[in-house]
Amino acid sequence: MCIVYLIAFLFSLTSEQCSSKLIEDSSQSFMERMHTGKTSFIYFGNHVNPTIKLFMEQLEMSADALQDYGISVVKVNCSEDAIANYCTGEKLMTKAYLFRGSEVLRSFDIDTVFDVNAIVSHVLFSVLFNEVRYVHTPAELLRVESAAKQNSDIVVGHIPVLGLPEHRALMEAAFVYGTKYQFVQTTGTLVLKHMGVVDPSSSQAWLWFLHCKGVSRRSDPCPSIPMRKPLNTINIHTFLQLMEAPLVTEAVLDPSDVDVVHMHLGVPVLYLFSQLQTQQLDWATAQTLALQLRGEVGVVVIHRDGPNVKTSLKYNAAYRLPQEDVKYFTLNSAEGVVKLFKEELLQEHKFEDEEEDEEHWSDLDILDDEVSESVYRDRDLMLDLESVIELTSDTFQITVTQNDITVVLFYFKWDAVCMAFIQSYIEVADALEGMNGVKLAAVNCGEWTDICSDHNVTSFPTVLIYRPMAAAQLYKGMLGTKSLHRFILLSLVSNPYLLSSSAEVMSFLEGDLYSKHMYLTPVRVLGLFSSTHDMGVTSFEEAARLLRGETILGLFAHKEAEQWVEGLSVNLPALLVSRSPGVPYEVYSLPSSSPTDLVSLIKQVELDRFPELTVENLPWYLELGKPLLLLFIGKEDSTESMKALAEIKQLLSSGQLDSFLPCWIHLGRTPVGRSILEKYLGFVPPLPVLVMSRLKTGEEVFLFPPERPLMAKNILQWIHDVENGQEQPAGLIPDGKWGPPVPFFDFLAIMDQEAPTYAAQRAPKMKTGGREDHREQKHGTPNQRQTPHPSPNPQAPRQHSEL
Amino acid sequence: MSVIQRLSRLLYVLSLVLAASGSGLHGRNNSVSHEYCVLGAGPAGLQMGYFLSRSQRDYIILERNTGPGSFFHIYPRHRKLISINKIYTGRRNKEFNLRHDWNSLLSDRPDLLFQRISQELYPSADDFPRYLSMFVKELGLKVKYGADIGRIKTSDLNGNQGYILTDQNGVSYQCSVLLVSTGLWVPQQVDFLGSDLVEGYESIPTDPEEFKDQAVLILGKGNSAFETAQSILGRASRIHLYSPSPVRLAWQTHYVGDLRAVNNELLDTYQLKSLDGLVEGRLEDIAIVRREKDGGKRRTAKKRSQTPTEGKEQLYLTLTELLDDQNGNNISKVTGQNLPGYHTDNFSLRQPYDRVIRCLGFRFNFSIFDGSARPPQSSGARGRLPGITACYEGRGTPNMFVLGTAAHSRDYRMSAGGFVHGFRYTVRAVHKILEQRYHNIAWPATELSISQLQSWILRRVNEASGPYQMFGVLGDIILLRGSYCEYLEEFPLQALPQLSALSGRLLSDHGLLVLVMQYGLNQTDTLGPGRAESEWTKAWRSNFLHPVLYYYNTLPTEKDMRQRPVSWPLPRPEAVHHMVEDFLTEWDQPISHSQPLRHFLEHCLQTDLRAFYAESCFLLSLTSRTPPLFCRQGYLRKQGIVGNSHLWQHAREAGLMADHQGDTSVSEYLKHAGAAVVSAMNFDL
Repeated sequence: MCIVYLIAFLFSLTSEQCSSKLIEDSSQSFMERMHTGKTSFIYFGNHVNPTIKLFMEQLEMSADALQDYGISVVKVNCSEDAIANYCTGEKLMTKAYLFRGSEVLRSFDIDTVFDVNAIVSHVLFSVLFNEVRYVHTPAELLRVESAAKQNSDIVVGHIPVLGLPEHRALMEAAFVYGTKYQFVQTTGTLVLKHMGVVDPSSSQAWLWFLHCKGVSRRSDPCPSIPMRKPLNTINIHTFLQLMEAPLVTEAVLDPSDVDVVHMHLGVPVLYLFSQLQTQQLDWATAQTLALQLRGEVGVVVIHRDGPNVKTSLKYNAAYRLPQEDVKYFTLNSAEGVVKLFKEELLQEHKFEDEEEDEEHWSDLDILDDEVSESVYRDRDLMLDLESVIELTSDTFQITVTQNDITVVLFYFKWDAVCMAFIQSYIEVADALEGMNGVKLAAVNCGEWTDICSDHNVTSFPTVLIYRPMAAAQLYKGMLGTKSLHRFILLSLVSNPYLLSSSAEVMSFLEGDLYSKHMYLTPVRVLGLFSSTHDMGVTSFEEAARLLRGETILGLFAHKEAEQWVEGLSVNLPALLVSRSPGVPYEVYSLPSSSPTDLVSLIKQVELDRFPELTVENLPWYLELGKPLLLLFIGKEDSTESMKALAEIKQLLSSGQLDSFLPCWIHLGRTPVGRSILEKYLGFVPPLPVLVMSRLKTGEEVFLFPPERPLMAKNILQWIHDVENGQEQPAGLIPDGKWGPPVPFFDFLAIMDQEAPTYAAQRAPKMKTGGREDHREQKHGTPNQRQTPHPSPNPQAPRQHSEL
Repeated sequence: MSVIQRLSRLLYVLSLVLAASGSGLHGRNNSVSHEYCVLGAGPAGLQMGYFLSRSQRDYIILERNTGPGSFFHIYPRHRKLISINKIYTGRRNKEFNLRHDWNSLLSDRPDLLFQRISQELYPSADDFPRYLSMFVKELGLKVKYGADIGRIKTSDLNGNQGYILTDQNGVSYQCSVLLVSTGLWVPQQVDFLGSDLVEGYESIPTDPEEFKDQAVLILGKGNSAFETAQSILGRASRIHLYSPSPVRLAWQTHYVGDLRAVNNELLDTYQLKSLDGLVEGRLEDIAIVRREKDGGKRRTAKKRSQTPTEGKEQLYLTLTELLDDQNGNNISKVTGQNLPGYHTDNFSLRQPYDRVIRCLGFRFNFSIFDGSARPPQSSGARGRLPGITACYEGRGTPNMFVLGTAAHSRDYRMSAGGFVHGFRYTVRAVHKILEQRYHNIAWPATELSISQLQSWILRRVNEASGPYQMFGVLGDIILLRGSYCEYLEEFPLQALPQLSALSGRLLSDHGLLVLVMQYGLNQTDTLGPGRAESEWTKAWRSNFLHPVLYYYNTLPTEKDMRQRPVSWPLPRPEAVHHMVEDFLTEWDQPISHSQPLRHFLEHCLQTDLRAFYAESCFLLSLTSRTPPLFCRQGYLRKQGIVGNSHLWQHAREAGLMADHQGDTSVSEYLKHAGAAVVSAMNFDL
């Protein structure tokens, strides 16, 4: 099913791209257009920015849609043809106009007509201005009704927000059926209430059909039938046809042979078998049922006496759901059938609702936050905190001084992020259980608020590492199992490791020392000083302490240190980096600076020059602020991929990619990379793929031409072309602002509607000191009630005139 | 306040400190000087003493009696405190527990709580001065006992108004800032004919036996009236309560100054028609008269011997207008015609009383203040309290602040500012104002990144005791500053227009949020159906105490404040959010509490505040130039929340997290079709 949709979608996409109906006018053709008297929707612009570009795409689509209604969609390029009045002024670029001939029917902010739906709905609404009645109040609606009675039926649409697909659907229906029915549009919730909607505050669109034509007396109300399906063109069309269909159809055929319009519209049909004796009664029953089920179920009365009716006598009714066979049953009461149908239908309905909710996740009582929702779905799980010590005010101090390392998580139970992390935290605790000297503990700050305040924890979750006699260390890494686990294990390593001979240095750099930590991090960083008296040593030691848990550092302060930088362009003190055993060391000079500066220096040299980007390491690389040269590699490490990696490495070592961050993503290990490609390009091309993305400086994404082999010189050429503007971008990185994800639930507006004076500021003439005033008034009331006689019952004071 | 003003204040304080150090020499000539003088060592005075001592200010607490809290040696007369001392709350959160501990004062000693003295829910009044003594002793507060200040006058101290207090020995205290926490000592009286025949609450006997078989009329319907009634209920023959307004039940009005259920047994006997009753009427209209035994006409000429046992004369309640008939105030000869029962045969209070007791509460002692040092009478509370500004400074008496029960005019009949569990927080707020005004120390604020704001608000809402007790009066202020905000706790809301001057915190153009706890419209029957709201979309109709957030673009002005909607604590904001009342007062549920709050904050900040797993942030960081705030303040600072496959599965099933296999059904299909198809599919797509 989905594939079918996908194909249909692709098809529609291509068809739209191929034949654009958007007309570009010159001043000449514009003048001609003004004389034709035809309706056209015209946008005047002089240059293209990202917003306008998006608008143009929408405009192009609307050209297609509006063509069906005889409205042309036109753009005028003002930089080429400056048309008086429209190509000048501030409103240029931000306005579009609807013309009938040379007369402007309406002008629109392009913010209002932001997409194809908004364009079509607003344009049609303007064109149909006289046909579609716009009502605010139930009274206005009643006036329309009484005018239409015995004359024509009414279609009422409630559109909470103009310019959305529902609005477009209603307008398109109005265009088609406008001559047949009186169309009414409303946005007010008052009308909703009038129509019997239980929850008028929901932002749902509604449609009703009012059978006004058939009312026998003008004093009768028009029976109204709500459309119970989402407002879209197909559903409206179906619904209107159902409203037109006869209330009850008569037949003398077997149910499966009866052909009624309902079957074609995908609506269930109810068959009632009638006998000669009870014909009158049966007919009446059918009428009642049909009225109750109108719009949802078709009703057919089948006369049993017909020769073609073969149904067994034990059944008196049957129904048929769309695409299903006829099912027979025995009808006991009319209510029973209604119930059956409503429930059958309701079930289908529910199912639809669920689907819908997933799309419109703005539904109020559904969590729209992935972390909250995933934690909420676990609400019936009891957290097993066995491996984690829960600390209290009484136990905190003792516990954090008892172990070599006590890791403490500060959390809130109501915070979804905390509760998501606590799962990882427990995983780490379980993994480390039984390890000497390490304890994982947690403080529930909702309960032990004093501990959390005393430790200045203002951000949740927070992980602090306590060691006896040392200040707590803040864990600054990713809040995940792997990162924290690695951090704790590395924290156990004394940092820096003091090396005393060149042999030790060798074993440190080659990973023999701390070999069991090799899988945690292969990187070793060594500080080289000529003697322990060097000024930089203490600074380095402090930096090493700060980097505990993150980097394994060695310190070699020795006269032999000199020989490790011999022949290199660097003097002591120096920093030697071994990325993994067997790989040539990198060397950096070590300026004398503060421990924190040293920390950032060490973190910087640690970074890979051609990293594989993963979810956990990306932030370190994005910080560099360079454009990314991003190679996507497929799950299976194909030779092609290996070759591509090697080609880029080659370019890298020749220093030709210095202004870029060359990096790669392995879709097997980092499946989210696939979504990135889709976002960049709109599709996933065969891998490997090389992409350039200028996150910080631009919005364009460039794709290395897939037909060209991924070779160093081709890559260089391509980079060159991109930089010279000779390459077309393959995609865009939107600079979308992350505004509120759902419309605001405005309590003030609700107050104003339900209790108009409640939230209103007082009139200025009132005396100062609002509260006192209020009190005084209150005070006044009982006084006024008093009679000269104290009466135990103030409600019924007894009057005695003689007093 | 201008910088210059502030500077001059600072200079002034400095010079005072100098003056104070010099004055020690002149101690002998009966003059002492302090920067801060606190008048009265009751709960409010000691509470302020604690804060002054903690900030190491030069202060003295002056107390006329020999120990703290002497009011409680006498009152309440029947010796039961009605402030609850709830020790077991099922929680260990110290801040939260203060919501249900109405007697303790605030301090940084976690064990300096009232429960150390008493375990009773309604403790004995004697325990309170004991607690206060302990408070003074353990915190080493500077209290001077036996200093009975009889006169307070203003004095010019280097161009600023200061105060000189003189005690009974002629010792004078020069104070640059005077903090009046004298409480309410003077019994409130109403002038009417025969008021001299009335006994006062302050002096009635407390032994119920003294009321045996007596008919008692009590003037007043507050807690002292009912407390008295309750104590004699088993002995008196008939108790009638008379006052202008009908009884107001604390559990209906949510005002603890109204009749508490602890004292309301008389309501039972009234409603069950057991001889007691309540009557409404003006006090000014009545007269209490003795009916002369011989004054009445007797039909029988037979002389009865007077019974000596009926020695005590009986008192009648009548109306002044009935006495006026005699063209004068001659009440010595009261006859039957002067009594209402003569005219209205079923007049409620027609029977005589053995005692009439006045239980009308107390008023502030204005008499010790000389002219210019005297604060005006409050416009509310029948003028019994001093009139003060929104920052608790006396109106027209700069540098004099009123604390404690006497400061109740700010929230009279609205909140808890007249009671220990309320004013302990106002005192703390006033102290912060003093620190800013005289020492240029800004109101303490916690700096939070915006992504932490929601959880911080939930924390306050779920534990903070200050806004909870001082509902509608003290509120938390959140100054928005773009990517971060400053969180100020428990600011007096009525002073909001002067926020910058009072707190020393500047506003940015991002606006501010105010968090207030409020009771609702209270239009329904307190115990009736529909009294509680559980639908968050109707949260503004909540009746019980619930958190409300106000969002302002700019600071409201004094005018906005004056014209605020009726019964609102604050002017109409740009946007408001009510967190729906909760039966358990636990506002921590994801659908009803957290998410609506987040949506509100998102609207105010115009930003998406949703949390994202690291993987989503990874995707968003690479595919949008500015990823959502949560990713920027977490993930991109290397503090992403990773989660695990179990949680991701949930998020994907909910359709909230991207599934990287494209369409789910396609991926399902691929799983079966095997890897070979993958590349082909890729190609087709």
